[in-house]
Amino acid sequence: MVRLLVEPFESPFMARALVEALLLGVVGAVVSVFVVLRRLAFVSDALTHTVFPGVVIGYLVAETDGIVWGALAFAVLSAVLLTLLAVNARVTEDATLAILLTGFFAVGVILVSRRSSYTADLTAFLFGRILTVDRQQIILTAVIGAVVLLTLALLGKELVLRAFDPDGAAARGYRVLALDLALNLVVALVVVASVRAVGTVLVIALLVVPGAAARLLSDRLAVIVVLAAAIGALGGWLGLAASYEASVNHGLRLASGATVVLALVALYAVAAAVGAVRSSGRLAFASGGLSSERAP
Amino acid sequence: MSAEPYVEALLVGALCGVVGVHVVLRRLSFFTMAMTHATFPGVVLAAIVGIDLLLGSGLFGVLVVLGVTWLSSRPRSDPSAAVGVVLSAGFALGVALLSAQAGFTRDLSAYLVGSILTVRTGDLVKTAVVLAVVLAVLAAVGKELVLGAFDRGGLVALGYPARRLDLLLLLLIELTVVTSVPAVGTILAVALVVAPAATARLWCDRVGPMTAVAAGVGMASGLVGLAVSQVAAVAAGAAIVLAACGFFVVSVLVAPRHGALARFRARPAAAPAGVA
Repeated sequence: MVRLLVEPFESPFMARALVEALLLGVVGAVVSVFVVLRRLAFVSDALTHTVFPGVVIGYLVAETDGIVWGALAFAVLSAVLLTLLAVNARVTEDATLAILLTGFFAVGVILVSRRSSYTADLTAFLFGRILTVDRQQIILTAVIGAVVLLTLALLGKELVLRAFDPDGAAARGYRVLALDLALNLVVALVVVASVRAVGTVLVIALLVVPGAAARLLSDRLAVIVVLAAAIGALGGWLGLAASYEASVNHGLRLASGATVVLALVALYAVAAAVGAVRSSGRLAFASGGLSSERAP
Repeated sequence: MSAEPYVEALLVGALCGVVGVHVVLRRLSFFTMAMTHATFPGVVLAAIVGIDLLLGSGLFGVLVVLGVTWLSSRPRSDPSAAVGVVLSAGFALGVALLSAQAGFTRDLSAYLVGSILTVRTGDLVKTAVVLAVVLAVLAAVGKELVLGAFDRGGLVALGYPARRLDLLLLLLIELTVVTSVPAVGTILAVALVVAPAATARLWCDRVGPMTAVAAGVGMASGLVGLAVSQVAAVAAGAAIVLAACGFFVVSVLVAPRHGALARFRARPAAAPAGVA
């Protein structure tokens, strides 16, 4: 077991990948708690796609160094657009989101499709390359992660209030639209930080699965945040180890990003099973209590 | 270029437009998005096992529909998170399966952004059959589905099996998605379902005309996108999607009554007479 979980990370490139995966896992997981509370799964999914043309343009302008800046520009643009579009009435928000995300994404695909190395580039942009992260990229992830966590620490209470009672938040004088924009920007930042490592398509897993899994285990927000962070980190670690083990020792190539996501989903399944057992235990206890009350 | 891609674009456009009406009315865009992503491993598995790709993704999609329905009904879990989890799981499974095969990147991009230029006559027949089936089902229970979208309580009170009708609609969406993914790709198929119907919603108030307009916009998007992609030498699936999005954006601006211009013009009329 120790061999499986520790040995792969003795080589420097795997160690760097692990640090990156843990950072992204924890930061993404904390954000995912808010994503799940506010039911923003689709908004997050939209952001992961709308960032894509930014990634492509950034790459075309300044090679790999430009990716993060292009992604950042489009992330801010789309976070603002998404916040504003949620206000419109006739066409429902979900339809507008779907159109916005595919429209942006299609622009990205068209830009890539003009290049001669079309398919290889497309795959790299969409799925990232976590095994080739360098020190600079890890530092950037850490900085973005710190900004995200700091923002959530400062605005956490207001965001939770807005999630459960938007009218109450508005009545107390909080600007709901500004809070929504802040959360959308935080989600967008996580997407930007993850783009080069896990690509635009699989970030959605980091932004939904840990929070959804932790939600199945507890009703208390502080506990949910801690559990989600643990699940995010554990998923990154197990996924990388599994991908390495399968690829190196069993000759079965497994894409590392996808394996990390599958590890997260497996943890979600475990959480669902534990949650089901616990709630059925509680039900049994409750019904037992009822029957004993009825007994004379 | 041969005529097959254009025929496929017309068929898929009509299919997506018609089904999209129900997706838009019931706010199922995210579910549709999840279906496009989560049926992806079905395609890969079918390719590995060697059965028909449409059949493989279709069968896998049924599993996904049941999975989403079941997960959404669990305590403490809301549909949005359930759909998000299923979407990530399906997509990652597809990528992992595909990465274990040779020729990873080329196949993957074909699935992701579609390859409408390589459709054969056999594919056209399949799409036409699916279109016929979907139209027949909608002709039979379309009214009940629309009632369910606007007034679910009323549907139940009238004695219709509401849950079974919901499931039927999800299966129709699933069928549409697996049929159109080969043409416009996993990520972009949702646009062809949602954009024409959302466009039609801006122009029409009644469901009948809305369905006709949605089908028309879907077909027009297919033709325009394909033609542009040929002239400009860009990815066909993405061009079709941008055409559909273009119809929507123009409609948001200029549609009578519901468009931005019309509402802007209507505003002074509502103001007190002295102001004007």
